[in-house]
Amino acid sequence: MFDFRPKVNVHVAQTNEQYPCATTESLLTGMMRLGRKGIPVGCVNGGCGVCKVRVLEGTVTSLGPVSRAHVTQDEEACGYTLACRVAPATPVRLEVAGKFEKPFSRGYAKAATPQPAPSPQP
Amino acid sequence: MGVMRIGHASLKVMDIAAAVKHYENVLGLKVTMEDKNGNVYMKCWDEWDKYSLVLTPSDQAGLNHVAYKVEKESDLEALQAKIEAWGVKTTMLDEGTLPATGRMLQFNLPSGHEMRLYATKEYVGTEVGTTNPDPWPDGLKGAGAHWLDHTLLMCEMNPPEGINTVADNTRFMTEALDFFLTEQVVVGPDGSIQAATWMSRTTTPHDIAFVGGPRSGLHHIAYFLDSWNDVLKAADVMAKNKTRIDVAPTRHGITRGETIYFFDPSGNRNETFAGLGYLAQRDRPVTTWTEDKLWTGIFYHTGEAVPSFTDVYT
Repeated sequence: MFDFRPKVNVHVAQTNEQYPCATTESLLTGMMRLGRKGIPVGCVNGGCGVCKVRVLEGTVTSLGPVSRAHVTQDEEACGYTLACRVAPATPVRLEVAGKFEKPFSRGYAKAATPQPAPSPQP
Repeated sequence: MGVMRIGHASLKVMDIAAAVKHYENVLGLKVTMEDKNGNVYMKCWDEWDKYSLVLTPSDQAGLNHVAYKVEKESDLEALQAKIEAWGVKTTMLDEGTLPATGRMLQFNLPSGHEMRLYATKEYVGTEVGTTNPDPWPDGLKGAGAHWLDHTLLMCEMNPPEGINTVADNTRFMTEALDFFLTEQVVVGPDGSIQAATWMSRTTTPHDIAFVGGPRSGLHHIAYFLDSWNDVLKAADVMAKNKTRIDVAPTRHGITRGETIYFFDPSGNRNETFAGLGYLAQRDRPVTTWTEDKLWTGIFYHTGEAVPSFTDVYT
C-alpha cells in the first residue's frame, strides 16, 4: 500500500510463486514485505547463506557483499547469489538453492524413531 | 586459578565500516585501536582491558577465534600440559601476536572452533574509573552494553555417524579447563544424547555454550545489559538503526536470561542479555531440558519453535 516504486515480477521456479519486487530492494526484502514465503529467510545481511538462489532469467544488481563461504566465485558466474544482497533490474525467474539444514531436535527424533523418508521439499 | 572469564571474540566481517558503525551505534562499544592489517579493536565502557572485540575484514562472516583470560602467566603452561594430556594439540603464540596482548595459548576445541587463552592484555580502565565512580558514564551510544558476556558455538553433531562434538567439547571444557556444567538439553532415545550445554567458570549461568548442528560455526556473541528495561531500550535502538532483529525481546527458560537476538551487518548474530539468572555454583544441581520442552527452554513465553534460530548461523 502507498508504495509507488517501480517494480518488476519475481518468479520462484520451484513453487510457481510470483511477487512484485522494487528495483531498489533485495529479492528477499520484496518477498518478506508482502508476507510471502518461498525463499528461506536468515540473517538478511549476506552472511548465513540460507537465502541462496540461482537466477535463471533476468538481471540483478548487487546491494552488498555476499559471503564466499556460501557462494563461490564459480557459482556466482553461474548465476548463484544470496537473495538478500541483490535487487532485480529486470523481471527475474529464480530457483531456491539453499535449504534449511535440519535443526538438531528433528534430526534426532527421526534417528530415535524410524520413519519413512520425507518427500522432497519443493 | 586458571580461566577467569571470556576475554574477546574475533569476528570476520565483510564491510568493516558498516561493522564498526553497528558495534558503536547499536551496542555502544568504542574503537580503542586499529592495526596495520585493517583489523579494528573495540571495547565496552565497563570493561577495563584494551579490547573485547576484534573485527577483521574478510570475504565471509563468522568467528576467527574466541579468547578467555586466565589469572597468571604460569596458568598458560599449566593449562597447556592439561590440554595436551587430554589429547588436543596446542601452540604458544608470542607476545604481540595480537597488539596489546601477551602470549596466547592457541588450540582447537573438539568441534573445530579456535580458542585462545591469555593472561596479559593492556589495562586501560573503565570509563568511570576506580575512585568514587559514577554508576555509568555520560555520552553512551546505543544500548550502552556493559561487557562481552558469553558466546554460543554451533557444534557439529550427527549421532547416526557417532559424531557429537557438543558432548566432546563439554567433556574437554570440564576435564582440561575446569569449567562446570549448569544446564543441558538431552534428546534422542531415553535422552541419551547431550545436544546442548551451558558452562561456567564465573558465577553466571554461562560463560560459553554449545549447541549441536549440522556444521560447526558461530551462533552468537552476547553483551550484558543491567535490566529488562535496558533490553527494551536496546530494541528501540535497533529499530532506530534498522538493525535486523531475529528474536524480539523475550525471556529464555534456559539461564532465565532476558534477551534480544539480532544480526550485525555481515550476518553474525548478536545478543543483548540481561539478568543474573541465578548464582551459578559448582555444587548447584545441573538443570536438564528434555526434547519435548526444548523450545520452552529457548523461548520461555511462547515455547514455540523458531527454526531460523537453530538453523541460521555463520
